[in-house]
Amino acid sequence: MAKTAYRKPKKKVHVFDIVNYIVFILIGLLVLVPIWKVVVDSFNAVGVYQFRLWPEDFTLDGYKTIIHTQRLYRPFINSVITTVLGTFLGLLLSTLGGYVLIQFDMPGRNFFAYFLLFTMIFSGGMIPEYLVMKQLHLVNSMWILVVKHGMNVYNLVLMRNFFEGIPASLFEAAEIDGCSPMGIFFKIVLPLSKAALASIGLMFAVTVWNDYSTVKIYITNPDQVNFQYQLRNMIMDGDTPTTQYSVSQNTLFYAAIVCAILPFMALYPFLQKYFVKGVNIGAVKE
Amino acid sequence: MSKKKKITTSTGVEVRHKPLGLRIWNNRGYYVMFLPVFIFILIMYYWPMLGIRYAFYDYKPVGAPTFVGLKHFYSMFKTDAFWSAFRNTLELSIMKLLITTFTAVIVSIFLNEMGNLFAKKTLQTIIYLPHFMSWAVVASIFSLFLSPSSTGLVNGMLRDWGILAPDAKGIYFLASTAWWRPIFYIINIWKETGWGTIIFLATLAGINPELYEAADIDGATRMQKMRFVTLPALSNTIITVLILNLAKVMNMFESVFVLYNNAVYSVSDVISTYIYRQTFAIALPNYGYSTAVGLFKSLVGCVLVLICNWASKKTRGRGIV
Repeated sequence: MAKTAYRKPKKKVHVFDIVNYIVFILIGLLVLVPIWKVVVDSFNAVGVYQFRLWPEDFTLDGYKTIIHTQRLYRPFINSVITTVLGTFLGLLLSTLGGYVLIQFDMPGRNFFAYFLLFTMIFSGGMIPEYLVMKQLHLVNSMWILVVKHGMNVYNLVLMRNFFEGIPASLFEAAEIDGCSPMGIFFKIVLPLSKAALASIGLMFAVTVWNDYSTVKIYITNPDQVNFQYQLRNMIMDGDTPTTQYSVSQNTLFYAAIVCAILPFMALYPFLQKYFVKGVNIGAVKE
Repeated sequence: MSKKKKITTSTGVEVRHKPLGLRIWNNRGYYVMFLPVFIFILIMYYWPMLGIRYAFYDYKPVGAPTFVGLKHFYSMFKTDAFWSAFRNTLELSIMKLLITTFTAVIVSIFLNEMGNLFAKKTLQTIIYLPHFMSWAVVASIFSLFLSPSSTGLVNGMLRDWGILAPDAKGIYFLASTAWWRPIFYIINIWKETGWGTIIFLATLAGINPELYEAADIDGATRMQKMRFVTLPALSNTIITVLILNLAKVMNMFESVFVLYNNAVYSVSDVISTYIYRQTFAIALPNYGYSTAVGLFKSLVGCVLVLICNWASKKTRGRGIV
């Protein structure tokens, strides 16, 4: 009797584990197969509906077309420019704001906090925003992407939460040594926040790069659109630019999709921990 | 908020507060640093709020705005398309929230059972991947796969399997009122389930292993442990995730915007896409009307945030904003 007090149920573990692995291999394939089909078909000169492991008729025409067609490479360049500048502006504003919000001695600090928080509860809405941007001459200009995403209250609060974790004694020591607020910010706060800067910077970059609806709402000039807009317009609204290349429509479409996802897919395996960290700074704070 | 700090001078004299003017002067550097943020917030968030007054005006692209009182609200509440958009917003976003939360919980519970750490990490890397694709890209990929043309993957497979006759016309999934919503949910599951597991996996990593040992001693099977130890540990996180996302229910926009088309407005049109069309897709827009619809959306969203904030304080002791 006493022998049965503790034993591991060994046999069941094996069956369960095998089933579990099979299920997860299937889940992994469900995610990867669509992406792999996109990549393969972007190199395939003939459009087929079947899933192929390798292109049947290898070609680079899809990519060549994108590189040589102004209506396609111009939006790509716009995307790169707006993403870089938007990320920079976003990091600048959210670190400055987050840093000021942890100055509990500062008169007006609570007012600033509520001033920011109110924008998370209530907003003017799409049309009043549009009318303001029109007055600022940002309609039909790709700078709208930089300005609109550069200020993100949620990311600012994430930054603030991170700064709060820096020991106050470091600030006090620097202050005693005669360091100015700006000096503390650049010499102590920012160097200690590299991980947070990486995660939140990536969040900004992904947001700006992936934005479609802002462009759709604000921009009609084809020189100013970003790549996501051009991509969806081409594939779903039949707005394919004319090119001198005789490339199959399918190949071009899939090549364009690869270009749209390439930057982050290439970075992602190396920066995964920063991508994931952003979620955890915000959500799991028990 | 913060506790009033007692300030002691170098001679040991305790003062309650330095004079306000001095405190402001001492913090001058911080005010300068906050200035750019302040200006951006003012322009990007508060200036548009002034534009809400146009909800009570007739405002066309040409001509000056004229005051019309509540006219837009009367006509809004009498418009079927508005109510259909409102209903769709709630149905689509709540269903999407429940479905993706459910799949994320299931996947994370089973992922947590995976013994091999390398396999677990690899799988996590794979299932997070679609989250970083934009909605425009995801819509493009799925519209190509679901296309009724000869290169559409799904219709091609249906023909191969004999579900469709070889010479039959393909099903135009994204333009069918019967198919649009299931497809929309499937795409959401594909894109967001993996990312949704992050928060649940973080909770599962924090479960005390003694609980599992105790269950072992009681002779619990693997399934029983998952049911009676793992799942209850997740319940708080599930509630948190639901509350946080319920506050954003009215915000549904881009995912629908990239996938819908005029054949499926009845099942897919949400408030934001309705506002967009009423402003940018008709010949003579009345900014007043679309501002009024936007104001309605903002107010409902605001109430939802406050309710969820209250619920969040009740259940986990801190608000969401």
